[in-house]
Amino acid sequence: MSNQKTTSYSLNEVLKERATQEQHQDSQGEKTLDDLSRVKVLSPGRKVFKRFIRNRLAVFGSILLITMFVFSFLGPLFYPYGQKQIFYKYDKQHINYAMAKNNTAYNGFELDAGVKVESSVNNVMNSRIKKMIADGRESETVFGDTGAWQIDRLTDDIWQLSQVDAQEVCTYGDTTAEIGTYTMVGKKIEYKSVPVEGMEDAIKKAIADSPAGGTFELNGVTYTYTRGKAKSFPITASLQGLNYTGEALDEGFGEAVKAAAESGNGFEYGGVKYAMKKDGKAWKVYALGEAKPAKLYSCLTVDTISPDIKVTTEMRIAAMKAAAGSGEYTLDGKTCTIRNENGALIVSDAEGNELFELTPFSVRRYNGDDNMDYELKKAVADKIREMATAGQKNGSMTYPLPMQNENGEYAYDEEGKLRYADADMAISQRDTGEYVITCDQIIYVIDMYAPATSEHILGTDGDGFDVMSRIMYGGRVSLMVGFVVVFLETFLGVVMGGLAGYYGGWVDMLIMRLVDIFYCLPYLPIMIILGAAMDAVRMDTYLRLIIMMAALGIMGWASVARLVRGQILMLRDQEFMVATEATGIRVKDRIAHHLVPNIMPQLIVQATMGMGGVILMESTLSFLGLGVKHPLATWGTIINSVSSASAMAHYAFIWIPVGILICVTVIAFNFVGDGLRDAYDPKAKR
Amino acid sequence: MLKYTARRLVYSVIILFFVMFLIYVLMSCMPSGYVETKARELASRPGATKSYAEWLDDLNAQYGMDKGIVGGYFIWLGNALRGNWGDSWAWTIPVTQEFHNTVWYSFALGLAAFILEILIAIPLGITAAKKQYGFTDYFTTVVAMICISLPTFFLATLLKYVFAIKLGWFELAGMQSRNYMNLSDFGKILDVAKHFVLPLITLVVISIGGLMRYTRTNMLEVLNADYIRTARAKGVPERKVINHHAFRNTLIPLVTMLGGSLPGLFSGALITETLFSIRGIGYASYTSMTQADIPFIMFYLSFLSVLTLLGNLISDLLYAVVDPRVRLN
Repeated sequence: MSNQKTTSYSLNEVLKERATQEQHQDSQGEKTLDDLSRVKVLSPGRKVFKRFIRNRLAVFGSILLITMFVFSFLGPLFYPYGQKQIFYKYDKQHINYAMAKNNTAYNGFELDAGVKVESSVNNVMNSRIKKMIADGRESETVFGDTGAWQIDRLTDDIWQLSQVDAQEVCTYGDTTAEIGTYTMVGKKIEYKSVPVEGMEDAIKKAIADSPAGGTFELNGVTYTYTRGKAKSFPITASLQGLNYTGEALDEGFGEAVKAAAESGNGFEYGGVKYAMKKDGKAWKVYALGEAKPAKLYSCLTVDTISPDIKVTTEMRIAAMKAAAGSGEYTLDGKTCTIRNENGALIVSDAEGNELFELTPFSVRRYNGDDNMDYELKKAVADKIREMATAGQKNGSMTYPLPMQNENGEYAYDEEGKLRYADADMAISQRDTGEYVITCDQIIYVIDMYAPATSEHILGTDGDGFDVMSRIMYGGRVSLMVGFVVVFLETFLGVVMGGLAGYYGGWVDMLIMRLVDIFYCLPYLPIMIILGAAMDAVRMDTYLRLIIMMAALGIMGWASVARLVRGQILMLRDQEFMVATEATGIRVKDRIAHHLVPNIMPQLIVQATMGMGGVILMESTLSFLGLGVKHPLATWGTIINSVSSASAMAHYAFIWIPVGILICVTVIAFNFVGDGLRDAYDPKAKR
Repeated sequence: MLKYTARRLVYSVIILFFVMFLIYVLMSCMPSGYVETKARELASRPGATKSYAEWLDDLNAQYGMDKGIVGGYFIWLGNALRGNWGDSWAWTIPVTQEFHNTVWYSFALGLAAFILEILIAIPLGITAAKKQYGFTDYFTTVVAMICISLPTFFLATLLKYVFAIKLGWFELAGMQSRNYMNLSDFGKILDVAKHFVLPLITLVVISIGGLMRYTRTNMLEVLNADYIRTARAKGVPERKVINHHAFRNTLIPLVTMLGGSLPGLFSGALITETLFSIRGIGYASYTSMTQADIPFIMFYLSFLSVLTLLGNLISDLLYAVVDPRVRLN
């Protein structure tokens, strides 16, 4: 409108002229054929834009792309969860709640710190006590490496180990004793103990008869000799019956030893305790002195009646001692009484309050924790006793357990007391004898494969990640990979193609042969090999992402270079390039400012279409587990995480949306690329 | 023609030489521990006769790793030219034998997909071009675009989900049913064919889009040509215009392109075969790649390069054969 040249430069006249012209046009209502306003001149950019928005598919693609970008880049800003956030949930599970068993292990409690129990004795106490119970013995003497020990039954469940002085009194049974050694050189006997009369003659005679060794008798005792080194003959005597080590005791003692040898148990004679010790075929008899109590062994476990009572080891020991004795003990000035109920010892204080219980039947949580109520323990024990008498292996009971809310925490009422709800418990006996109590409990677990809820719009995946946030972050990585790779390959392609096209000659020859070679390289296999190699060296996730992008870019530049070279060869001979040469513009500027802008349309189209390809490639690699790695989300890894046959079948709500997203993004890039090409050059061959 | 072919062949061989060299360099630049791991594994196998150090030396010598990259390359190339590609580490048989065992499955799959692709894509492309900007055109364009944009793994998973899991018509993966051994010969063929259905659909859908677009574009170009206008102007029936005048001319680029993709039938479908466990060369090579089976990978990559070069050569030669206007020199 204002392009018209005016002859006058007075502002007033110009305005007036314009006003009359407008009036003239308005009155006519029609434009003349050569009216400049008829031809709407658009800038090249707007022309392309206009053609582009006329293409419905391209516009659709653009909208999709914008949505995708907003979704992946802005979405995470508003979405409450991160890509590596693991979700947990409280789940009702049928669990092994508790375990009940007869405690058969006898634990030691030290009574006297001054007496050190040999470990060889201590270690076998459990089996010894069990054997004594089986044999019905109340007391036994055992011999360790250094001394004798006495085990006494206090009650069935409490046993006492004491150190005892033992003096060897005699041996009984077939035994051998070393007499001495006869040497041929000195022709005499070196005695170990008391010399025996007539021995020398007897041995000389025997050796003369059989020099290699043999036996001879002297005074009713059988002696054995063997030929030793340097013509010496060790002599041993075979003893039978009772042989006193020290001074002999009376006949009655001998009878008692004989009787004891039959059973192998110790005996008491004349107010002294004697112990028998097997030594080869014979017995050694020891006289026992005073016993010093060292340890208590008990299979009783402590159950406190209320949780605030602390039971010390001293209390346990005192209670156990009292149980075997008076039934009462005083510790720290407090007197407690003990009462037996169904094999359990119940300790109560002077006022009659029950404090704790020592029981051979232990009821514990399945993991071994002791945090169950006493009443529950008692109920379980009673039920099991009932089952045992009825000969049942399985039973069930209902008992109020502390109630849990949906978060798995204990629920409290208004007064701050735990609320209880009846829980069905199943009790079953295992073949190994113990009872297992199972019931439903609420447990805190990783929220795997959660279905879609309002909290997790698309649910969670196998690692407890929120799928929606993974998709958003995955889109970010996927799109970013696309951009970086396309930028890299376009940059390389423009540089190489530009050099080849502009210079021609041997540069062109070299670069184009390189392009041929890169065209020939198998793209996907090489990426797979690279991924597998990076797996082998356990490369960092971010580093391998960068390497993958670089590799994709380097592998992809050849097609861009070929395109750029072709375009530049065509443009090089056109007039405007000749003009740039004539005006003496530098080579660098000629390429950068005159050639490259002219190939921009093709580059943009190529880059847009390339984005789709790169995203496909990246997702394929990630799907195979060879691209971007686990904690980092991309669309490929999300599908990969549910690609096993069973996961695929049950968690279609995870992988189908992601697959569709990949597909839609690639389609959108292709639509936009197509649209751009048509808009830039409507006559171009598609 | 003959001279041109000979020159192209020489040229291809030179390119191949450098491509193989690049591949060799790539394989030798694999992170250290590649061969070492293999040596350790071989040495710790039950009944291994050589120690780790012996295996390492042996492997290095076998693949010329101890002679430097260039020296090693020539040793490897010399062996390869004599047909000695070595033993596959992953398959423990000679590479060429494993190739022979697998390539025919791939070829069968590829050929079937190729034929189906032609039968579906070309008519659709022509129909779309005939009614440019019509509904059919838009529909075809969008379908073609979706096919191009579908990731293979997603399509394969989707097909498995629908046809194997939900409908139960086919098996998830593999090439044979459990009762394969009890079937008659004909039954065995049918059984394998049944297992090929889903991979076949995958391959066809993935590749159909490109051919459809290519056909449509070329058909459009031909339809805009002057001789078509002339034919229409002189009153030739539309059917005859399309089928005789236009389609025959569209065949020139089509035959060139399809001829060029013939060698590709042997190259196997890496992703599809892997996902469906078809024991073709794609699956074999994928397994080899993940297990660092250098001999087989080298062979496969070289094989692919040869196929690509061969495809280009065939395509260029066919161009001259089909179109009498083109003279090669």
